[in-house]
Amino acid sequence: MIKKLLLSALVLTSSLIASNEVNVYSSRHYDTDKQLFKMFEKDTGIKVKVIQAKDDALIKRMESEGKNSPADVFITVDAARIQRATDKKLFQSINSEFLTSSVESKLRDVNNQWFALTKRARIIAVRKDSKLANGIKTYEELADPKYKGQIMVRSSSNVYNQSLMAAMIAHHGNDYAINWAKGVVSNMARGPKGSDRDQAKGVAAGIGSTAIMNTYYVGKLASSNESDKEVISKLNILFPKFENGGTHINISAAGVARYAKNKENAIKFIEFLLSTQAQEIFAKGNFEYPVINNAEISPLVKSWGKINDDNVTINDLGKFNKDAVKALDIAGWK
Amino acid sequence: MKNKFSITKISSVLMTLLISIPMITLFVYLFVADTENWQHIKDTVLFEYIYNTLYVMIGVGLLTTVIGFTSAYLTSFYTFTFSKFFDYGLILPFAIPTYIIAFMYNGMFGITGNITTYILKLFDKNLSEVVFFDIQSIEGAIIVMSLVLYPYVYLVCRTYFNFESASIIEAAKTFNLSSWQVLKKVILPISRPAIIAGATLAVMEATADFGVMQYFGVNTFVTGIFKTWEGMGSIEDASKLASMLMTFLFILIILEKFQRRNKVYKSSGKDYRPIVKTQLKGRYNFLASFTCFIPFFFGFLLPFIQLSFWFFQSYEKVIDEDFIDLVLKTLQLGIVSALVITLLALLIVYNSRINKDKTSSSLTQITKLGYSIPGAVVAVGILSFFGILHKYVLDVFSIDFLISGTVIAVIFGYIVRFIAISINNFEAGFNRIPQSYDDAAKISGIGHIKTFTKVFIPLIKNSAAASFIIIFIEVVKELPLTMVLRPFDYNTLAIRALELNEQSQTIESSVPSMIIVLIGVISVLLLTKNLKKAQDAKY
Repeated sequence: MIKKLLLSALVLTSSLIASNEVNVYSSRHYDTDKQLFKMFEKDTGIKVKVIQAKDDALIKRMESEGKNSPADVFITVDAARIQRATDKKLFQSINSEFLTSSVESKLRDVNNQWFALTKRARIIAVRKDSKLANGIKTYEELADPKYKGQIMVRSSSNVYNQSLMAAMIAHHGNDYAINWAKGVVSNMARGPKGSDRDQAKGVAAGIGSTAIMNTYYVGKLASSNESDKEVISKLNILFPKFENGGTHINISAAGVARYAKNKENAIKFIEFLLSTQAQEIFAKGNFEYPVINNAEISPLVKSWGKINDDNVTINDLGKFNKDAVKALDIAGWK
Repeated sequence: MKNKFSITKISSVLMTLLISIPMITLFVYLFVADTENWQHIKDTVLFEYIYNTLYVMIGVGLLTTVIGFTSAYLTSFYTFTFSKFFDYGLILPFAIPTYIIAFMYNGMFGITGNITTYILKLFDKNLSEVVFFDIQSIEGAIIVMSLVLYPYVYLVCRTYFNFESASIIEAAKTFNLSSWQVLKKVILPISRPAIIAGATLAVMEATADFGVMQYFGVNTFVTGIFKTWEGMGSIEDASKLASMLMTFLFILIILEKFQRRNKVYKSSGKDYRPIVKTQLKGRYNFLASFTCFIPFFFGFLLPFIQLSFWFFQSYEKVIDEDFIDLVLKTLQLGIVSALVITLLALLIVYNSRINKDKTSSSLTQITKLGYSIPGAVVAVGILSFFGILHKYVLDVFSIDFLISGTVIAVIFGYIVRFIAISINNFEAGFNRIPQSYDDAAKISGIGHIKTFTKVFIPLIKNSAAASFIIIFIEVVKELPLTMVLRPFDYNTLAIRALELNEQSQTIESSVPSMIIVLIGVISVLLLTKNLKKAQDAKY
């Protein structure tokens, strides 16, 4: 048995010695990604090997592996994690004419260490029959006492809530944000729990009228089973804005790992993920927003109307994440 | 003679040390000066973490004790309708992972659950018009977790009753006490150590839980650890929280060991005899049957029905060649890990028995902590340890070898996480063997190896089998640790279930979940058979 183990360990390590492959650490867990990796293999003959796990766990793993790390590409979601990986020097700058010209500057690192792959918006899903909720225009309004008992949202452990709060801090400062969060807490229909999808289901069932959630979860519910489709049929999707900005977006992004052994392949791989073809698969299969201009978005997402991205930078979202967590704790957002 | 066996001693000390290192790397943070983050945690959320964690510990401890003890008492001392079936039926909930039962229960009884919706429609009511128990609450978390964790208490009590209590109870009966008095005055007090040992495992698993707590919106130490790590980006403060939790549990483990050592009523080893079961009649028969049916129904049957319902809707879509590969990998990983862990635990416990070895004994207590903290946190400890190893050992000698990302790393993770269960199992097994056996073997001069193979092995082989099966089930259910430490393109059933669920493919995710549960069910049946055999062998 031990022999066998050692043997498999040897096979594994020997396979880490560079060959025609690209090794990906990813915190995205979608079947669309698997489909894309297969396409890339077919197009280029470069084998894609993947480990998928939670963002911070992968960051820790890359750190502990140091310069022996087999990772060539790191794909992660959420501004704060991208920032963290950058701060820990897990990426390297790359030169790619294609990438710098296709991805607008606010969606990539200043030193080209990472590039956004997709955008996801934090929006509200409101019950069609609630006149009150259908009038919501801004995030700031969600704290208005007239929405008492109306709001459903998940806990402050969730990164997308933290990121929304970070944007609130970036727009209005810490004190305002804390008061805002206190207002939202007192408007909650029930304590924060469950997933984004549970909030939509709750609103459809008549508990509260307004669910704060990410766009792609709406898409996933709409393309799931009959009872989930029924949930979505009862909801309107609204894009709230910040008073002095737009709708809050977060990104998922990819970068070449600092100690990549297959750097060329890694760049090719990221370029592929930002090709029109790949971007449309992200958009249609996973209901995310593409980051390049000529890629089409999913018809369902399109039907909700045009989105105006907020002007807070990804860097600021990352920078204020820690403050956001603290402010949420202070406001009593469980 | 002593020299000959120092191999056992040295290897045992080395292994316990190796297993303790990931926990020790976390403990270091206990002594790091307070940061600004830490001040914030202390000022705002720490009290809530402590309060909720204690609430869950007490809740799960009490509920698993009530369910586990009552059902073990009834099935051990009485025969009633279906009592033979309940012998193993009551262990089946153990096959269902906590995250799956939580998900099933929310799917049925949550605010938008199918049963909730059906009942509301039936009475034409709105949720706001009725009194509603929200399953997504701390009480809900305690209930669903206890429903699948009580078998720990049940198993320990069953074994204890079968092996230890017959003679004591018969003696008690000669005093003409009623069954109720025997239960209250004899059985309850003498089985207290067994109950506490079982409940400790249940409580540790509940404390380490992240999935259910986060999903049900309960902020505990463990959800706090993740919020601090992921939200504030501070692995140091997260480790500090983890080490606080471990310190507290360490004290509990020591207390548990202490109470066991002083209070175990050991029979002399000569007079094992079977319990003469009483046949129940009339309403007592019904009552006993009903009492055992409840945990079986809510802990296994009901979630299993819901799971099957979804399974048959979607298995054709999910099962393909890759899926079969997934099943085989999961089984392989489970078998290899269970074997390694069982052998290691045997070495460690055997060493502390024959060598009365203080060093490895105290290290053994630290190794047990792995079971009380979440898999992902254990992984952090392991990665830190690997990091040190890479930087100061492998790099220095220019060895181009990476431990993380090998199957060895994953199995090492399981050892750290689960060895407590196996050690507890062997400790109980060895405790049943009277010290006089060791002495007799020593006097007869048959030597250590023969003593081990001829005396101990036959007596603890059932503990070994039980340990193997329980660890196997745990590994098959395990999720976070496998995810972080695994090699490229290495998937298990639990990981697939999570992937599908996160993509809103709730119904499809029942397919891998179902296979996990079925593997668990088969293992549980083997376990019961093994327990039965052990029992029969004694008489």
